[in-house]
Amino acid sequence: MPPGALTRERDVREAYAAHAGELYGFALRSLGDAGLAEEAVQETFLRAWRAGERFDPQIGSLRTWLFAILRNVTIDLGRARAVRPPVAEAGVEPAVEPFEEALLAWQLEEAMRRIGDQHRRVLVETHYRGRPYAEVAEELGVPEGTVKSRVYYGLRALRVALEEIGYDG
Amino acid sequence: MTAERCREWRESLGAEALGQLPDDERAALEAHLDGCPECRAELDSLAAVARLMPLADPERFDAAPQPPPELAGRVADAISSERRTARRRRRRRLGFGAGLATATAAAAAVLAIFAIGGGEEGPSQWVAFSSLPRGVKVDAKLEPRPFGTEIHMYVEGVRSGTLCRVTLHGPHGVRMSAGTFRYRYGADQEAVLSSALDMSRASAIAVQVGSRTFVAPVGSGSA
Repeated sequence: MPPGALTRERDVREAYAAHAGELYGFALRSLGDAGLAEEAVQETFLRAWRAGERFDPQIGSLRTWLFAILRNVTIDLGRARAVRPPVAEAGVEPAVEPFEEALLAWQLEEAMRRIGDQHRRVLVETHYRGRPYAEVAEELGVPEGTVKSRVYYGLRALRVALEEIGYDG
Repeated sequence: MTAERCREWRESLGAEALGQLPDDERAALEAHLDGCPECRAELDSLAAVARLMPLADPERFDAAPQPPPELAGRVADAISSERRTARRRRRRRLGFGAGLATATAAAAAVLAIFAIGGGEEGPSQWVAFSSLPRGVKVDAKLEPRPFGTEIHMYVEGVRSGTLCRVTLHGPHGVRMSAGTFRYRYGADQEAVLSSALDMSRASAIAVQVGSRTFVAPVGSGSA
């Protein structure tokens, strides 16, 4: 058994404390349903516990391993949902994005939450809302050059945050 | 110095990566990039991040959704029950002698009577010990059992061989021993103990580690 394997209930509890939030956030985003997301997170940790002896921190991070398990769990849940009779009027079935794309989207959103407010603000205003630098500068009460510089440092901060989250593209 | 020379160009790289640079500025930047591999590499790297941006939904940038707090307990319970099943299976596989098997069956019958008598198994509970010395970790998980309470102890950061004594506190000064164990460095730090005190009646758990005693409250929510 490799050192650092996930064999005790306490190891699982610590893994839960460290990563359940991220796993849940992503499961909710990709499954579009809070109940299913909870089910997915619970099943992920149960499978992690069963396979705990095989986890080797030398090979990859705990986060990467848990996300790989979650990936299989969401596929199984998606399959189970597919054979269930269609949901009554209640609602629109969430669109199922391919896992990798959903993971990238979630990683970027998580990275956006981690960078500073000032950086996020200029990226949202100029990129997502498509507003001119001059307008954003006036609204924020700063020179246009400052907006430009915040866009640059904002992208750099985003790159660092993505690396922290485990994005390796 | 590259850094000094590139300084004014660098801050345009973000806008360029996002396709926001006006044409005249872009032409000037291009001229610089042709002669500066460092700035070119930086632009490529930022452009890779920028390419991901359309995937994300800015409505989701504000707060990360959190799992409900009770999910942690449900995960712990699912794992405990799976472990109990595995242990039972292992015991069966080891093959007890006939006499023992009968004894076990008899014990099981007694336990079953207790179980029917109201010893319904409820949720397990993690207990946190606070005000511990730096570097020392003590945790306990309590599980209601027909016989009383099963206690999983986890100790870390004390001298190997340290004697640990666990006691459950009940109402009216009741003290029920849950037994002793030794912390061994490098070994699996979990010790499984039992106390006859019903978990629903337990108000606190005391753990004596060497010469120090730590007490933590036990919630009455499971009663």
